[in-house]
Amino acid sequence: MPGEVKVVERPRAESSYVRAAAKGMSITMRHLLSPNKKTQQYPDEKWELAPRTRGTHRMAVHEDGRAKCVACGLCPTVCPVNCIKLVPAEDESGERYAAIYEIDEFRCIFCGYCQEVCPVEAIHLGVHYENAEYSRERWVYDLERLVEQEHDVTALWDPQDPASQ
Amino acid sequence: MAENGAKATVTLKIDGVEVTVPSGTRVIEAAEHVGVVVPRYCYHPGIPTRPAQCRMCLVEVEGRPKLEPSCTLQAADDMVVNTASDTARTARQSVIEFLLVNHPLDCPICDAAGQCMLQDYAYVTNQLESRVDEPKRIMGRDRISDDILYFADRCVICTRCVRFMRDVAEDDSLIVAQRGDKAYIDTFPGRELDNPFQGNIVDVCPVGALVHEDFVFKARSWDMDAAASVCPGCPTGCNVTIDTKENQIVRVKPRHNAAVNSWWMCDYGRKHLVMTNRGVRAELPLIRDGGGDGDGDGGELRPVDWATALDWVAEKIDALGSPGGSAVVSPDASNENLFYLRTLLDRLGVADADFRVPQGETAELPTVPTLKLRADRAANAAGAGFFGGRRADGPPNGSAGGALVVLDDELEGAGEDFGASADFFLYLGTRLPGAARNADAVLPIATFAEMDGTFTNFEGRVQRFHQALRPPGLARPGWMVLSRVLARLGDGEAVDDVRGAFERMAAQAPAFAGLTWDGIGLKGAPAAEAAGVAGSAEAGA
Repeated sequence: MPGEVKVVERPRAESSYVRAAAKGMSITMRHLLSPNKKTQQYPDEKWELAPRTRGTHRMAVHEDGRAKCVACGLCPTVCPVNCIKLVPAEDESGERYAAIYEIDEFRCIFCGYCQEVCPVEAIHLGVHYENAEYSRERWVYDLERLVEQEHDVTALWDPQDPASQ
Repeated sequence: MAENGAKATVTLKIDGVEVTVPSGTRVIEAAEHVGVVVPRYCYHPGIPTRPAQCRMCLVEVEGRPKLEPSCTLQAADDMVVNTASDTARTARQSVIEFLLVNHPLDCPICDAAGQCMLQDYAYVTNQLESRVDEPKRIMGRDRISDDILYFADRCVICTRCVRFMRDVAEDDSLIVAQRGDKAYIDTFPGRELDNPFQGNIVDVCPVGALVHEDFVFKARSWDMDAAASVCPGCPTGCNVTIDTKENQIVRVKPRHNAAVNSWWMCDYGRKHLVMTNRGVRAELPLIRDGGGDGDGDGGELRPVDWATALDWVAEKIDALGSPGGSAVVSPDASNENLFYLRTLLDRLGVADADFRVPQGETAELPTVPTLKLRADRAANAAGAGFFGGRRADGPPNGSAGGALVVLDDELEGAGEDFGASADFFLYLGTRLPGAARNADAVLPIATFAEMDGTFTNFEGRVQRFHQALRPPGLARPGWMVLSRVLARLGDGEAVDDVRGAFERMAAQAPAFAGLTWDGIGLKGAPAAEAAGVAGSAEAGA
């Protein structure tokens, strides 16, 4: 036996969309005219990042443009996710340098241990978040690319309060 | 204390623990008996001279006004030694502070970091701050021999290297030049450092001052894995530690064994061992089953999996029965490999197994009579002899009929028709030389560095070596492969563990009767047949 559809009669005042639409538009108009705007106009308007934001890496360089890295191997050792690949070698003057230095930024968890452990203040995390790429390979930053980065480097602790008290 | 001369032992108290040691023992050695390692730089147990010049091992002895260097102080009855008293600790801390005055603190790029006694003692003594404002003196680095670099700034002038060369190798070519803070290690003017045992100065260096050139910047100490092994360079069988990184041998160091190599090894052994695992390797089992009769004209060798290869080889051997024939074995093969091969050869009715031993220069370390670089350039010629091996000269002869089995010999000088007339030619090898082209089956096996096993040295001492590397491809230890072939023929079980292989060998081969894998330990034990010889040689050491 087919069920019967119960039809509820509603007054027009309740079923009309005009009231609801007018109410919605009034909210829109109120926010449009309000001086207290929240929406950020990205990408025209960039985020202001805290100095301790931990983003993609940057390699510090000497005045002559050479990377400061001495290939000591502490960052790959301390890295909890093994995202740093380092092959040390000897240059013409007998100095130790990184023949291969690659950071897989996809693997990186941005803990900042590498920056903390670096004895020559070469590798730094960066105050940076715009990293979109078209391929995964591009996320493996080699030494050249790490040197080219121009963003600010991360402050791992507040100079006024180094122990975070 | 002068009355102690006649007594065999003395009893003294070190850090509150009473210990009885043979009379004449130095306090630094007596302390090791109670588990106290007194910090030291110039003292090394393998170097006879003790100049007591580093002042690091100073200890307090009750009743004596000043601290005494424990490396030269003879233990005496009723002596009460305190190695960790406040005075001793302060003295040690001062020594470290002085050593660090000019030390460059370049630990991040120093190859000794992590295995450095200066680093360790700086932490132990808590000497973390320097009170010196003066600039450090900088001396740079020097090439002290063909393959050894000297980083003068890191040196603590303990003179271990100079004294090793002078008192152990009896070679005066290394000296301390200059005095005071300008002192450095150098070769004597007009002399060169070219001793066959000079590599040991790198091992005795307590800091990173002396480094092998081929190890510089190669690996940090914590990146390396170590395996106890035996040098395969000559029949002496020096005990070594193989350090590997990413499945590559990066360094070889001698491991102490008073009966064999004391604390040392020769430079030939170091270089030879590092080169052992280079080159193109056999990685896949190959069989020639195309034509059916399998005597070399049966089509191409084709790669197969292990089960197929072993089944096929076992089937062939089973069909052959006992045709006789010949065998060529490598004197570098382990005892276990040779034992299993002998078992297989007996089944095939092959009596002799030829092995050829390349010859080379010899070298001696004057003060350690047991340690020589011997002319034979093979690890296990004695073991090959135990298993029916016959020392041969000239190119291997592979023209006989019957079965032909080759175990890891490179077949140098063999002709193109090597093995062509054999009914069945089985090649077990780490590499695939051209002369194996006529083989009916090639089974890839691991080198000594890629497996566990034992070698028998020149005096019949059976010594264990342990796996340091992963074998490439499908290569497996020879005993593992041969035990599987035999198991398919109904002889024994397939073994996966070297203990199983060793136990079977000890049970069946009279030369190894009574030996156990655990019983040999890391220092080795004389084989049963050679017990008399080995005993006398040990007494001489």
